[in-house]
Amino acid sequence: MSLKIPYSQTARKFRGTFGLGSGPSGRIKRLRMCVTGLIRHERIESTFARCDETRGYAERLINIASRHGDKDKYAMEVADYWLLEKDLIHKLFKVIVPRYENHRSSYTQLYMLPKELPGYGKDMGVLELKGNPWPQVVPKQRETKYFLTNMLVDELRKEHHRTKRSPFVNKILETTADNIDIDSIQNQYIQDSLVDNDEGKTKNVQSHDNKND
Amino acid sequence: MHARKLTCLCFRNFPIAHKRFFSTRKLSNAEVRRKRNDLFEAEKQRQLSLYERIEKVEVQYTGLPESCTLIMNKGISTPYNCAMHMTEHIGNQAVLALVNGKLWDMHRPLMEDCQLSFLHFRDEDPRMVNKAFWRSCSFILGGVLETAFKEEFYIQLCSFPKPDVRSGSFVYDVDLDMSHWSPSSVELRCISQIGSRLKEKDCKFERLDMTIEKAEEMFTDNKYKLQQIPSIASKSESLNHVTVYRAGEHIDISRGPMISTTALLNRFDISAVHKLDTSLSNTMYRVQGIGMPTQLQLHYWTYEQLVNRSKKLNPALMPGTETQTDILESTEPAKQQAVD
Repeated sequence: MSLKIPYSQTARKFRGTFGLGSGPSGRIKRLRMCVTGLIRHERIESTFARCDETRGYAERLINIASRHGDKDKYAMEVADYWLLEKDLIHKLFKVIVPRYENHRSSYTQLYMLPKELPGYGKDMGVLELKGNPWPQVVPKQRETKYFLTNMLVDELRKEHHRTKRSPFVNKILETTADNIDIDSIQNQYIQDSLVDNDEGKTKNVQSHDNKND
Repeated sequence: MHARKLTCLCFRNFPIAHKRFFSTRKLSNAEVRRKRNDLFEAEKQRQLSLYERIEKVEVQYTGLPESCTLIMNKGISTPYNCAMHMTEHIGNQAVLALVNGKLWDMHRPLMEDCQLSFLHFRDEDPRMVNKAFWRSCSFILGGVLETAFKEEFYIQLCSFPKPDVRSGSFVYDVDLDMSHWSPSSVELRCISQIGSRLKEKDCKFERLDMTIEKAEEMFTDNKYKLQQIPSIASKSESLNHVTVYRAGEHIDISRGPMISTTALLNRFDISAVHKLDTSLSNTMYRVQGIGMPTQLQLHYWTYEQLVNRSKKLNPALMPGTETQTDILESTEPAKQQAVD
């Protein structure tokens, strides 16, 4: 199984999340709390590193749950381990898994928040489950494709590329037939160019002759 | 001037047809314009006088600053008047109105209870507005060409094709009364300046529906328009009406809709003049130009590239082929988008 998000092979250590010397068990405890919070509230805000680390575990959890279903012992054990509040096991299998039934991309979305000064001193992030009921983090941008200026500039750019493209590519794009025979077009193109060159040569020869005369 | 008066006096006793013939041949563009304006004004007053008793219509406006209901005068109040009740900004910036889902000119009177909203250049999908702007630019180009030349050249506007923004230039096909004319860049710039000065003049586009007879009387001095009027009328909604627009002193036939005023036109450049080979006339030219609205900014380098592109001969329909003016367009936005 591969996650549909970019992730690092080396884990962040999170030393001292619960005070000095909390160690690897402290890290796991922190991540379990974050995953539980994510499934509970569907959007959490924390340091960017912690959100990023949580993301991989949350994705894996949802993936296992959707793959094996709630009647599988292994899936149930994993859910039981990661979700500290046990009522969320029901939510995971009955609400979140059906939501991502026809989903092709990742289940979660990660945003970096702007730096706050004076503030916590670390990069902050927002991690959310896709399809949550909250308002959008990034507001929807206005469509500017059909502005008069943009339409004109768009056509200008297309025309520019059309003229700059090689005649060989243009010929292929111009043919509207379903089965394009690229080899024949290429051969024809080579022949045409050879003919052009021959003409050029003959012209040169003639000019030389004239000079000799 | 004297000579023409004399000819008129000489032929006073002749039958009317002869007199008409002479008078049409001798008029200059300025006099024709004055005559058309008088006819337009008279027809407008006549249509206004039909509403002796003022009736009220209920207009439900949706949009900024807040949705509201207005009580307006039937056949007199326009969407622009509605905008005046809200803020000055809306009246200045709105290009077209949407009345009951149909595109409506800003200065066209409202006829019934309706839903109203305004369209701008910076909407999510301003394609209809762009088309109206392009059409209005063609209209203005016609007006500029009629005023630009000396009196000895009798300019007759022929037609302008459907607006197509993607072609990169708006077009007017015109009979310039000169067999060989290739203007220099300075000449083109001088003519373009007449159009770009319209921004300060702030001429509003007025719309008037009239019968075929009235339209023929108005365009007797233009043989091309006179020829087109029956086919244009047959394709109108009521099958016997012609829609005429006026901006400033220029009057032309178009199905519309047009933009609100010429103040929305910022840059206006006539880029090229091409001689056409048509059966209609030996002195037919295709004049092309490009313009920009006030609300949209563009870097001067990019604009220069666009001007260079607009110099190519526009591939739109030539005059003399079947569909001459932009009469085949429907006024419903959904259909037009499907065409796009």
